[in-house]
Amino acid sequence: MKDYQTQYIANLTRAAQLGEIRAELSPDAEHFWEERQKNRAAIVRLVKENTSLLRANLFPVLDNIASASREEIKDLEEFALALIPGGRQLDVMLSYTIHNTLIAYARQWELRDLLIRELYHTAMAVYYLHTMIQDIAPERYRWKMQLLFGEAASYIKLYDEIEDPETRGYIHRSMANLALGYSSSPPATGKRKMETIRRSLQILTDPVFQAKTPSLPWDLYIYKSHQERTTSLSFLRSGGADAQTTREVMESAEYVRDRQKRDSERTGQPPSLRWSVVYESSQYHCGILTLEAFLKRLEEFYLSRDPSDYSPDGSYANLFLPAIYSQYVSQNRQYLQAKKEMISHMYRMMLRYVRNAPAQQMSVSLMRSIMDTFASFIEYPGGLQQKDLLLQMVVCRNPETFVYLQMTACVSRMLLERTIQEMPQLLLGVLGYDTVEEITAARQELADLAYGCGMFHDIGQLNFAKMTTMAGRIWFKEEQEIFRLHTKVGAAILARCESTQLYADAAAGHHCYFSGDGGYPDGYDRTEHPNQPIVDIVSIAASFNRLLDNNIDYTKEPLSLPQALEHIRLKAGSRFSPDLVRLLLEMEPELEEYLRDGRMQAYRLAFQYLKNEDPLP
Amino acid sequence: MDNKEKLSQIWGGIALPVMILAAADGRCRTVYQNGAADALCSGQNLLDRIPQELCGRLADDTLSLSEGDKPFFCFLDGQVFSLIPFQWESYRVCMFHDVTDYYNQNQRTLNDAIMANKAKTSFLSEMSHDIRTPMGAIIGMTDIALMQPDIPVRVSECLGKIKVASGHMMSLLNEVLDMSRIESGRILIQEEDVDLADLLHEILTVTRPQADAGQLHFSLKLGQIAEERLRADSVRLKQIFLNLLSNAVKFTPPGGEVELSMEILPAEIPGSVFMKARVRDTGIGMSSEFLGKVFVAFEREEKSTVNKIQGTGLGMAITKNLVELMGGTIAVESKPRAGTCFTLEIPFQACKDEESLHIRALRGRRVLLLDADAARAKMTADMLDQLEMKTDLASTAAEAVELINDMSFSDDEYFALLTAEKIPDVEMLLFLPQIRQRMGIHFPILLLSENDWVQMEYVYTRAGIDGFIPLPLFRTRLSAQLYAFTPEARLAHEASGQSHWNFQGKRILLAEDNEINREIALELLGMANLQIDTVENGRMAVERFRQTSPDYYDMILMDIQMPVMNGLEATRAIRNLNCADAQDIPIVAMTANAFVEDVKNSLDAGMNAHIAKPLDMEQVYSTLELFLGRKKG
Repeated sequence: MKDYQTQYIANLTRAAQLGEIRAELSPDAEHFWEERQKNRAAIVRLVKENTSLLRANLFPVLDNIASASREEIKDLEEFALALIPGGRQLDVMLSYTIHNTLIAYARQWELRDLLIRELYHTAMAVYYLHTMIQDIAPERYRWKMQLLFGEAASYIKLYDEIEDPETRGYIHRSMANLALGYSSSPPATGKRKMETIRRSLQILTDPVFQAKTPSLPWDLYIYKSHQERTTSLSFLRSGGADAQTTREVMESAEYVRDRQKRDSERTGQPPSLRWSVVYESSQYHCGILTLEAFLKRLEEFYLSRDPSDYSPDGSYANLFLPAIYSQYVSQNRQYLQAKKEMISHMYRMMLRYVRNAPAQQMSVSLMRSIMDTFASFIEYPGGLQQKDLLLQMVVCRNPETFVYLQMTACVSRMLLERTIQEMPQLLLGVLGYDTVEEITAARQELADLAYGCGMFHDIGQLNFAKMTTMAGRIWFKEEQEIFRLHTKVGAAILARCESTQLYADAAAGHHCYFSGDGGYPDGYDRTEHPNQPIVDIVSIAASFNRLLDNNIDYTKEPLSLPQALEHIRLKAGSRFSPDLVRLLLEMEPELEEYLRDGRMQAYRLAFQYLKNEDPLP
Repeated sequence: MDNKEKLSQIWGGIALPVMILAAADGRCRTVYQNGAADALCSGQNLLDRIPQELCGRLADDTLSLSEGDKPFFCFLDGQVFSLIPFQWESYRVCMFHDVTDYYNQNQRTLNDAIMANKAKTSFLSEMSHDIRTPMGAIIGMTDIALMQPDIPVRVSECLGKIKVASGHMMSLLNEVLDMSRIESGRILIQEEDVDLADLLHEILTVTRPQADAGQLHFSLKLGQIAEERLRADSVRLKQIFLNLLSNAVKFTPPGGEVELSMEILPAEIPGSVFMKARVRDTGIGMSSEFLGKVFVAFEREEKSTVNKIQGTGLGMAITKNLVELMGGTIAVESKPRAGTCFTLEIPFQACKDEESLHIRALRGRRVLLLDADAARAKMTADMLDQLEMKTDLASTAAEAVELINDMSFSDDEYFALLTAEKIPDVEMLLFLPQIRQRMGIHFPILLLSENDWVQMEYVYTRAGIDGFIPLPLFRTRLSAQLYAFTPEARLAHEASGQSHWNFQGKRILLAEDNEINREIALELLGMANLQIDTVENGRMAVERFRQTSPDYYDMILMDIQMPVMNGLEATRAIRNLNCADAQDIPIVAMTANAFVEDVKNSLDAGMNAHIAKPLDMEQVYSTLELFLGRKKG
């Protein structure tokens, strides 16, 4: 690798370390805040350095990739791989950009081995992007990934012509990985996935192929394919499976279990918990275990876990198990009564686990588990509420975001109260109140609503925690576009539970223009939301706070209060409601007063939560 | 005593409401109504309160109020009356009998029955659905057990029986599920373009082995085929034929015959056709009593020959329902011991004709046909001839190689190889890869076969086969398959949805310092008929733009990193020029640097958009269209 490439990676790692939350090292909130500020300044320096490293050294080469030297190409390949070392996602988007450019190079000069290899690596990078947003935008990256894997796999036709065993390996891996593009629902895609695995396994187990390239790790390929065939099975129970598929799944499940057992005997380690759970789940989906028995098995696995184990298996047990457990219960509500205690216990333990996690262990896939939990979160009277767990998750993943949310909540409430006082007619229709008298009488209720909307409007950011806290460089345009999905992610989570559903509109609509002509997400229609006036209030409060202190892009210089208000004023009538902007401008003294200690107060609250062993109610 | 008094004396004392009507020219008028009738309509004319249709019937000479035994009900102010009309002297008399209680009670019973039936259907469907999953496990586990080495004979026999029994159970469950879906209206006919050739091929691959196993003679007869491609639900259509054919096979003793015949005939409406099909067997037949019940769910004929055969009695009911869902009809003729014949007529829309397009693209191309079966080869060659293609026939592998060698010395070339699945004395799986290697990756090699492609796909694709043409051979199928490999088809495929990528008459300026990049861009943009001028740096771009007349260029594509003057500076310079279109000319950045901040910088410098490198044709064209189209508008 070139020096700038090594430096870039070192900077990424350093920035991630600086982002770690080490509340235990600070005696009080003030000290904690100072430390965070210091680290943040260091991160900004690294981000700027990394950005210019790429501008000066990488993009010129990528711009003229067709005329790059062989040596440059080799360095680029290494660099792109080092950005996702062993699946650890240091910088997926950059890795994707480089691999994708290398494809163009390979095509230009007709370098078949390089082309196949780069098709595979680009597809893998796309896969990582896909997993980040697959629940909310499943099609955005899927086709691209399938196209890339598919092209690499199609070289199976020319297998004999391709001499390099490593390239042949990429062909097989691409073929197997085509299965990654299929989820388990709808049933038709589950079926396609099974067909894809069948086709790939047919070749992998073919002695003719094995004899052609004896140096490839055939066993491993076969094993991985069998593993893939035992996951995402819910289509089996929704009528999507024929007898052959069921049989194959059961065969694969036994294959994986045998192998686990053998490995376990050989190494003296217990078999992987994850694959034991997958085995039981395949037994359930194939119709051997009842749901009752399956849930029991999951409980046993859960209770036997080590709550301080941060290995992949430990994380699986502590984070992923609760997610799937509550998913099954939420889909089969008849179990709710019997299982609710267990579920609450799991949620609490999960939070503790996340709070104590070393930063580098919080991989993207673990963040996914947390998001999966919220995607099936179960609330019941007297039990743990989603809103409390969400807040705590934000605090322990990113205290600055918590501070930002807390301040947005306060400013939203202030602006709401001002509105009731000065222009209550703006709020007609909110919560079904249709007269000014009703609005005035419901002051407290509306203030709470505005506060809650402010507090939760940006909760979808959790899904992109990696991008917001450890980017180590400024964003690509593509990343900005992905990040815009936080509106949809947030709205989907909030709408699911009673304790948060009133806040879903604010999550969905806080980036939409007041004029209706701009912002995102597409398809958000202001007229459909009776609580839109509250969303408008949160929109202003959020933008205002971000101008004062940007919790996502640290490189943005904070503005002073008058500067921030001026920015808001310029967008009255387009981005923001002109009436609300006027009210906010009138509140300048009040805001000045609040800002004197508001940020520190929010920090103190965050710090208090972080220090408390069990902060949940 | 006038008429009215007379009527009052006779009818006035009756407790039931009564109307006396006079009818003329198919219309009625009230002559008299009694007190009870007055009370019912508060003194108004009762005739005005009863439905128009009923008035018409009362005026009818035959005075038939009801069809068959069905009473006619009349609803008045929440009460239900049964109307009893009769002729008295020259009048029509109509009595109203209050049947509200009776009616309500019946209605409740009916509702209950409907609810119960619905509940039954949904119970059946839920139940079968839930049983299917563990049933799948039983079947699968049995298969796995059977595949284990060295199982004792007795155990393997038991497993074999479990397999057979669970297979029956599974098909029973599937049929119950289908039936309940039909009853609850959850089956929808999903039309798609269906190739008759594919459909028949798939039907035959299932039926032929069944017939062979039953030692039956199976034949397919095709009549006029007016259209080979139909808009139809292929899954359900196949289900219909397989149901009929598997029944025919089941109920025909060894040595008998089963025949499927089919015609596609033009219908009166242009673009529509109807399928006339017949499934005939020489089997045990049905009694005339059972014939009336053959399409009723759960009905099976009670006789020993039938009882031995597995079945639910649902297959025919499902078949009939599916045919009717498609808007068709099904009829049956049968005599005991003389066989059964089902006749189907189903209307379809024909697919859009693509064949002329295909023939244009294929005309004059030369095909190498490798087939040792002379009769079949002649049929194929005739069909290729109809497509105006040239055919060289080889009946052995060596002959094929000789033809290929000959061709390589001529100025013609083979467009494709069509090969039969088996050629005597040659191992096709070794031979075909050699041909592939010789002819290169883009040379189409297609396999003609009667067998199920799914079973062979793996082996043959590995051997270098690109595709498969099912037998029996249909012309449209053949032409469509071959067309897919023509350059025309590839172009059409690439241009699908982007036929508007034609920028004829548009001129753009490309500023790019890298020579290879210029070449690539020229090639890419040239494909859309653009005129392109190139310069090597920003300074030259500014100069060139300044020297040309206003509106000479429609757009500028600008690399960012360039020697002498970079793209951003050049853009600012152009925007500051004092020319007519300096402010308006769209300038688009081309760079791999897609940082949000840098994209914003280029927009701030006066650029209109940003295209990422490496250039993606789709993105380049849509950006071009955005600006070129806009300018034109």
